[in-house]
Amino acid sequence: MRYRKTALLLAALLLFALSGCAKTPSMEARTVVDMKGRTVALLQEPITRVVALSPADCEILYALGAQGALVGRGEYCDYPAEARSIPAVQSNYETNIEQVLALRPQVVLVGDMQEDDEQIRALEAAGVAVVMTNAYHEIEEVYRGVALIGEVMDKNAEAAAVIADMNAAFEALSVRALARSEDKTIYFEISPLAYGLWTGGTGTFMDEIAGMLGVNNVFSDVEGWRQISEEQVLSRNPDYIVTITMYTGEGPTPIEEIMARPGWENVTAVKNGAILNLQHDELSRPAPRLAEGAKLLYDFIYGNDAS
Amino acid sequence: METTRRKTPRPEGFGAIEYAAFAVACAAALLLCVCVGSVNISIREICRVWGEALRGTLSAHDMTASILLSVRLPRVLCVALSGAALSLCGAAMQGLLKNPLADGSTLGVSAGASLGAVLAIAFGVSIPGLPLAGAMGMAMLFSFLSLMVILPLAYRMDHSLSTNTIILIGVIYSMFVSSIISLVTTFAGDRVKHITFWTMGSLSGSGYKEAAILLLSLLFFGAVILRFARELNAFAIGEENARHIGVDVRRVKLVILLCVSALIGVCVSIGGAIGFVGLVTPHMVRMLVGPNHKRLLPASLFGGAIFLMLADLLARVLLNPIELPIGVVTSFIGAILFICIFYRSRRAEG
Repeated sequence: MRYRKTALLLAALLLFALSGCAKTPSMEARTVVDMKGRTVALLQEPITRVVALSPADCEILYALGAQGALVGRGEYCDYPAEARSIPAVQSNYETNIEQVLALRPQVVLVGDMQEDDEQIRALEAAGVAVVMTNAYHEIEEVYRGVALIGEVMDKNAEAAAVIADMNAAFEALSVRALARSEDKTIYFEISPLAYGLWTGGTGTFMDEIAGMLGVNNVFSDVEGWRQISEEQVLSRNPDYIVTITMYTGEGPTPIEEIMARPGWENVTAVKNGAILNLQHDELSRPAPRLAEGAKLLYDFIYGNDAS
Repeated sequence: METTRRKTPRPEGFGAIEYAAFAVACAAALLLCVCVGSVNISIREICRVWGEALRGTLSAHDMTASILLSVRLPRVLCVALSGAALSLCGAAMQGLLKNPLADGSTLGVSAGASLGAVLAIAFGVSIPGLPLAGAMGMAMLFSFLSLMVILPLAYRMDHSLSTNTIILIGVIYSMFVSSIISLVTTFAGDRVKHITFWTMGSLSGSGYKEAAILLLSLLFFGAVILRFARELNAFAIGEENARHIGVDVRRVKLVILLCVSALIGVCVSIGGAIGFVGLVTPHMVRMLVGPNHKRLLPASLFGGAIFLMLADLLARVLLNPIELPIGVVTSFIGAILFICIFYRSRRAEG
């Protein structure tokens, strides 16, 4: 499978990089090539102060066991729970350079969808190494992000292990799903009806995970993350619905809200009550936890048949 | 009354024939919008669904019927009614303030209404049993309060309420309000996501309940505005003249502004802030029926409905199955149309 190949390739690359590092004379500066293809010079000594602006990068740092160096996080980084006690800075287009610099980071991890060039130049002018990750639309990109952050944090072996674990989890699920697949269809709802329906199409990790689990994404003809028409959802009549809408604690729950939508009563998923609500970004944040999300989705579709 | 009449030979009122013509155009647009959509449904299928629905023999498991009757029709109705209401408000405000650029969005009234609704969501203002009423009430209240801030300020700066003053104050007020909305979202925690999505405006997912609310408010507040057509004509000549021919200027102004803010509040709380409808349609309609408010106001009702229905149709089918936000289409078409109309009218004047 494609995932195994990538993982093996990455693991090999990492080992190669590792062995290369060991031989490099300590006088030479350490550099990494980030996901935008920029060559970034890093300190020779281990990185002890890093700021992660995107929630996914923050989770990856924890997965690598590198959280000890995390001195600051973007305001939306909320997982794991202890990350909330790390000082938060404004992120996205309002990234507050002063707040970031006040944390005296050696490295700032920046997602490419989040910041603009000017902010990056400002950080670099202040002597901070800016490593750009990307928005990780696909699982392979998540792997590359894990490998890159592992390289930056000198956690190459840990990165290889995280990738291998994710890959093994996906592989196991897809093998189990292969035996049980019944050619059913699924619809991922990212934004609820009141704000316009958004879904994930081809080239998104949601679509990939559906494929792994042997279910067809009803919007696989759409590319990327898109706002789609309500009529299309009804006409494509999914067997399963996954919603990632957060429940604010008032009014109907996201599942109840979907069940009560006029006209949706004839959708198979609604008729059978086959709607899954994931509240903790398990399937919406491109981080190592996607493996958990895939497991939750498997259990939802096929029942918990693990021995 | 004679002073209000321009040199046009047109009859003063909106005749039965004109009503019929506009109603037919509106019905045609409605029919088109119901027949064409994201999912292709043949005319024959549509006729079957309608026939069965009218005879009451519709199967409860009919997906085509669900798409047509539960999704498409209520949305088209909400779009039509919002367009009618916003356009009527625009026409009334342009007449009242004698200003071709006056509209809910240019004056900052829509922004104010959004703030009201955002506050209602952020602080959980709700009326038990009426889930929509909290946001709607607050949106109405805040759109009226906005007018009560903007207009006296504008009068103080420039008694003639010139176009520049209005636009300036409207823009500044909108920025001020959006800063408060940002502030509220910062403190609103988990509800943040809801609010940011909400302020973008969307009529998807509107049902018959929303359509009924729009219809009722349009019947009530719209009727009041229509009854003031004579007074609006007097205002068009100037407030002094209006006073001379026996118009109770303060009362008329207050009532019209109350109705306008109520209508804008209802529209914003259901569909978000949809720009340019109220600004552009009265100008287009004026080219057809002339400046007399007895004709302009009813024509604006129909014109707004047609304009917004067609804009929404484009939003739904242009990139099928992807859907565009309706505001993108109205602003794109509206801005171009507006510049054309403005250019032509300025050249004609000069």
